[in-house]
Amino acid sequence: MVLRKDQLELKLKDDEQLIRQGILRNEHPFEDSPEFHEFIHACRRGDLKHCQELISGGVNINGKDKYDYTPLIIASLCGHYELVQLLLESGALADPDSFERERAVYNALNNKIRNLLLSYDYTKTADPLQAWSSHITSLLVREIPKTTDITLLTASESFHLHKFILSSRSPYFRRKFAEAPETATWKLSHSIPVEAFRVVIRYLYLGELPRDLVGPRSAATEEEVFKGIDKLCKQLEIAHLWEAVLSTTDRRLARQRHQDEVQRAQAQVTAYFRDTVLKHKFTVDTRRVRDVKWPRDNAISANCLLRADEFDEFDEGEGEDVVEPAEESLISSNGIPIGPIAALNSTNGTSNGAKKPKRSVLFPVHKAFLIRSPYFETMFSSEFMEAKETEHLHVIKVDCLPEVLEIILTFLYTEKSDCPLELALDLLYATDMLLLDKLKTKAAVAISTLGSGTSNALVDRTHGGAADELQQSPPATSTSTPSSGQQQTPGSSTERDGQPVEVEPINVYDVIHAAWDLKVQRLEDFAAKYLASRLEDYIDEEEFAELIQESASRLKRREETDTIELLDDIRYYLGERFRFRFEGDGIGEMLNEEGEIDAAQVEGLAAEAEDGEIRPEQPSDGQREVEGEEERRSTERDGEEGGGGVRTLDGKLVEDEFVSDAVNYQILLEKIDKMLDRLKLGA
Amino acid sequence: MASRTNKIRPIRKPIMNRDQGEFEPCWALLRDAMTDIHLQNAGRLSFEQLYRASYKIVLRKKGALLYERVRDFEQEWFRDHIMPNIAALITKNLINISLLQHPGSSSHERREMGEKFLRGIRDSWTDHNRSMNMIADVLMYLDRVYTLETKQPSLFAVTIGLFRDNVLQSHIGTAADDIEQDFVVFDILCAVILDLINMERDGDIINRNLVRKITAMLESLYETDDEIENQRLYLTLFEPRYLEASTEFYRKECEKLVQEANCSTWLRHAQRRLNEERERCGTTVSIMTTDKIASVVEKELIEAKLDVFLAMEGSGLKPMIDNDRLDDLSILYQLISRVDSTKSALKVILQRRVRELGQEIEKALKNTDFSVAGAAAGDGEDAGEAAEKAKAQTLNPAQQQTAAAIKWVDDVLQLKDKFDRILSDCFCDDLLLQSAITRSFSDFINSFNRSSEYVSLFIDDNLKRGIKTKTEAEVDAVLDKAIVLLRYLSDRDMFERYYQKHLAKRLLHGKSEIHTEKEMVSRMKSEMGNHFTSKFEGMFKDMELSKDLTDNYRDHIASLGDADHKKVDLNINVLTTNNWPPEVMGGGTSKGEGAKTDCFYPPEIKRLQESFYKYYLKDRSGRVLTWVSSAGNADIKCVFPKVPGKETGPLSKERRYELNVSTYGMIVLMLFNDLEDGESLSFDEIQAKTNIPAPELMRTLASLSSVPKCRVLLKEPATKNVKNTDKFSYNAQFVSKAIRIKAPVISSISKVEGDEERKETERKNDQTRAHVIDAAVVRIMKQRKLLAHTKLVNEVISQLMGRFKPDVPLIKKRIEDLLAREYLERVEGDSSTYRYLA
Repeated sequence: MVLRKDQLELKLKDDEQLIRQGILRNEHPFEDSPEFHEFIHACRRGDLKHCQELISGGVNINGKDKYDYTPLIIASLCGHYELVQLLLESGALADPDSFERERAVYNALNNKIRNLLLSYDYTKTADPLQAWSSHITSLLVREIPKTTDITLLTASESFHLHKFILSSRSPYFRRKFAEAPETATWKLSHSIPVEAFRVVIRYLYLGELPRDLVGPRSAATEEEVFKGIDKLCKQLEIAHLWEAVLSTTDRRLARQRHQDEVQRAQAQVTAYFRDTVLKHKFTVDTRRVRDVKWPRDNAISANCLLRADEFDEFDEGEGEDVVEPAEESLISSNGIPIGPIAALNSTNGTSNGAKKPKRSVLFPVHKAFLIRSPYFETMFSSEFMEAKETEHLHVIKVDCLPEVLEIILTFLYTEKSDCPLELALDLLYATDMLLLDKLKTKAAVAISTLGSGTSNALVDRTHGGAADELQQSPPATSTSTPSSGQQQTPGSSTERDGQPVEVEPINVYDVIHAAWDLKVQRLEDFAAKYLASRLEDYIDEEEFAELIQESASRLKRREETDTIELLDDIRYYLGERFRFRFEGDGIGEMLNEEGEIDAAQVEGLAAEAEDGEIRPEQPSDGQREVEGEEERRSTERDGEEGGGGVRTLDGKLVEDEFVSDAVNYQILLEKIDKMLDRLKLGA
Repeated sequence: MASRTNKIRPIRKPIMNRDQGEFEPCWALLRDAMTDIHLQNAGRLSFEQLYRASYKIVLRKKGALLYERVRDFEQEWFRDHIMPNIAALITKNLINISLLQHPGSSSHERREMGEKFLRGIRDSWTDHNRSMNMIADVLMYLDRVYTLETKQPSLFAVTIGLFRDNVLQSHIGTAADDIEQDFVVFDILCAVILDLINMERDGDIINRNLVRKITAMLESLYETDDEIENQRLYLTLFEPRYLEASTEFYRKECEKLVQEANCSTWLRHAQRRLNEERERCGTTVSIMTTDKIASVVEKELIEAKLDVFLAMEGSGLKPMIDNDRLDDLSILYQLISRVDSTKSALKVILQRRVRELGQEIEKALKNTDFSVAGAAAGDGEDAGEAAEKAKAQTLNPAQQQTAAAIKWVDDVLQLKDKFDRILSDCFCDDLLLQSAITRSFSDFINSFNRSSEYVSLFIDDNLKRGIKTKTEAEVDAVLDKAIVLLRYLSDRDMFERYYQKHLAKRLLHGKSEIHTEKEMVSRMKSEMGNHFTSKFEGMFKDMELSKDLTDNYRDHIASLGDADHKKVDLNINVLTTNNWPPEVMGGGTSKGEGAKTDCFYPPEIKRLQESFYKYYLKDRSGRVLTWVSSAGNADIKCVFPKVPGKETGPLSKERRYELNVSTYGMIVLMLFNDLEDGESLSFDEIQAKTNIPAPELMRTLASLSSVPKCRVLLKEPATKNVKNTDKFSYNAQFVSKAIRIKAPVISSISKVEGDEERKETERKNDQTRAHVIDAAVVRIMKQRKLLAHTKLVNEVISQLMGRFKPDVPLIKKRIEDLLAREYLERVEGDSSTYRYLA
């Protein structure tokens, strides 16, 4: 269905009027920022890459230029199919009733694009709360497992509902249930028609309201239903319902209303969740968990207790990695641990001398929300112990830290996920076990972005470091790459012993193992990138070699010629790390297909630089050995300055960074080869 | 080292202890749990614990081992706990009965034993299914991660599949010592089910629910663990056997029915069986089989002996049709349309029967005709008016023919009604059958060579009588029927000719109501097209114009003020030659001689004619009017003076009568005006004075002298037939009760033709057709210029189909004629192709 031009113009007029009257939100505000102009221009050209960058940079994808063009309209007008797809997937609004979509459809260059626009399901993508709200709605009809705890009875119908949801959505219910927590059934007034209750309940559970309030067979008239709804609105203190009932005719208004309602509901549920679950969590001795008896009729209507044990180093030997000031002294005394086991023993042995009794945190929770995890859904649907109705609430252990469990619960109840980096790995494992893919992805994202928006952990530190030395002032700014931001890690650089000490935000070995265990491709990539960006720190470690070996063994029946996945990735990112700058100066031509640098050209370049101190590398074996020795020495950063020059990893002073990059790249590649030789892994 | 990197790296967190030794304790936990699950003790197990155990195992890359162990455990469980129970159920007796089909056990006994066995299987299946679901729940992580990654079938599929390998396909060889053979449990299971179903077909009551449970089990098991949709055990193993057994069962049943039952019971039985099988699929077997089992029943019970049943004496299709067994027919139709979408068996018999019945009508007609003709003066055995008339007066051949025509048409219509009813009540107005019936009707109607004439006669009769006796609705219905018959006629030009003739007579003699006639013609028009009815419409138009003309002429005469006491009132019909049949126009009438010669009109009439002609030409110069004396009639006011000597009775007074006679009659009677009493005229004298053609004159005189009610002339000698030598005199004694007397017209143009006339009509018709064909050929050739012979013939036929069925030899003859007249020529070198010569 495509509108005619006159209908289109009529639509624009209507939309503008609605927006002026304040009924509709203006989803396409006028934009005049340079980024937006650039974005519009990129859309016109069909520059997919640039658009992607701008979108991740946070440009307003639904803005409007002075000719009322949105990026989507431009892209569809110019016939960039992939770009239209990208825009839609990134949240460009294509609301079926809006002028903007109609215009995009009307302007679509070809049928392929037009069909794409027409077929695009707005509700599926643009609303991040969709899954959450539809879960709540589905609770109305779900029978297995049983999650309901209150039955509202009318003359002809009974509604099986959830106290938690009713309480969070209506202050009236909250008061009533708090007063009498044992209530299990509730007779409703006969004076209000059952249709009115049905509407109210659908509203509370975030369902779509029926278009016709009165069915063909219902006994009540529409007026009675309206009166009933009105009465219930006042009684239950849910004023917005009235608005919702009145806005069922216009689809756009209804949807906007629904979105607002879902957001409001999320806020309500979040507040109530804090008020009940988090407020009532309590800590007990693990040994005494058995004695915890919660009655079924508790004031917060919880029907299950979740237990998470606090970190305890003696039972299972787990270590926690909260970097605290207290631990810094510890590190200083012991040095940086090299092997994992040694590190464990040493840290654990000395960190907390006094044994404290093992503690568990218990969360009173509601099955209705837990079953968003397939794990709990199966558990409560099965015939096992946990599904049995008992006098006291079951205490179910979840194998993770209390803090992690709290994140998980917050997500299940409210769809909010805020994952601090230090908990991300634990969260990753816990969500994997609970089969919570969405949260697992979020945890992985948290790690791979290292907890912040800009990926500063991946900046080439050979430059940052050099600049650091030059300027003598953290935070250092990279001078060579335009995209690199500030070299600021969560741990931040601290001055110690007169030298800047960088605290790495996360242990990359853990990350890579988690990625392998839990099959998270994103983290494998991240780890490879991370390793590549600071390979000079890792290349000589024993643990790194083990890692490479493990990666090699992951491939069953490995042949001599097979590649090692991790190493390939590292090589790739290494190439990217240096090539980025080579390309900027046309030095990329020096790279032949294997990614090796033509030494002769480097030599030529170096000679051009006319620096006497440069000793160009020779591709001879003897030379390499010398370099190997030298490099060991050079990695220790000598404090002396190169008089305006730049030092390479092997300590030589070269004219500028480009030459230094070329040399560094070569050095690192050679080191990899050497290590492989040592491990007897031909690759 | 610390000074080398200047970095603090977070301590590694050994989240998962990579200890290899943890597998066994976890597995032990799981194994115990599985035992408990099988023993239905799951209530005390903690899902969380078990899940965590399996999760740990999988995370430590021991998924494969766990997978193996679970499978082995289940296999063992089957061997140690389940199979002994199953084996115990399989007694020697069961094997004997189910597989070896030993006779000598009552069905009750068999049923008991079979159901016990099925119950055993069902119970172990339900247990297994429940346990496997629980185990799959616990091992959910394994299925989600390990099996998915390694692309193996899910653990649930594998363990469920174990039931197939370990129970259904296990061999029981040693259950009883004296059975040497080796039996597969599934075979026994299958045999038991089939036996139970056959029992139910024979009227026993079985535990349907139980059987359904078992078939549902077979539905949820697959050939392999990959669970390919069309490889359900039900489909691969059970269903073929079930269908085979059913085929066998129904084949036997059908043979029994052929020998013992008649067609009607067979029909009802088959219908019942079909319903039963459909129901059985819902309640006992599986819905997936519904269509397949239906086709088995169709094939074995319906199709196999269809012809035998249809041909059954006394109950087959023929008697059904003849006796209007509508119920049977509708069942038959339903069944046949299931097995054969063309319904050819039904169609063939139906068509044959229609033709037979049609021929019977014809035959009956011939017999009736003969008998009436044989007893010319007496008692026609024929029903209806023909017989009445036969009694009332000697039935002349014409009336006989009319009666025959009406009877024939009535019979045909009755037959048509009958089949229409069957078609709509039993055959759901099936288009195939409808066209088949139509075709057979048209076949037998056209094979009867007088059909066109009879149809026209039928209409004629109804329209004439329609004036008085019938209501409009009835007339309507009759007309509808007539149109139906018209549809079947192929020689429409013949019909057109007859209808024209009959219509002309009705119009000229005012025997029918004009609006009914018009109604009829408009129906024909919508049925057969414009050109078919153009002549009829022309005739109507002539009649209307003539009426106006007469009125105007009368006004004209009145305005002249010519007070002629001997004024003759003229009512004139001016007929256009082309629209009216030549017979009526007097031209080309039968013998030809004297046709054109005009008779001598009396002077009064002559004057009148001249005066009208003059009036007519005032507006329409150049036209020629020919007076058709044979088609007109006249009202004569005659005065019979008082007969001397008669003092009493009607003869004693002067009598005035209005006599309606034909034009010829008028001319003849005028002669007697001038005669003295007692004088007479001989036939020859009359002819000489009037110049009326002899046969016409003969008829005219006969009507005036021999029919008692209007015997105004006396004939000498007083015989019935008029001869040349007879003398005629004025009948002074004439007396009649009515004032207006109509002299009957004894017309030579009889309503129904004699054989002679028929030939004549056909000859003329052929002549017309020849012209039509000529025209068609020339039209086609003018367009194509060059055309092969066969193509030309085909095209001519297709063009003329709507009017009549052209004869191929006739077309050939016409083409030759056209060649001779040089409209066409043969193409040199290719004698079968013609070229049009402009």
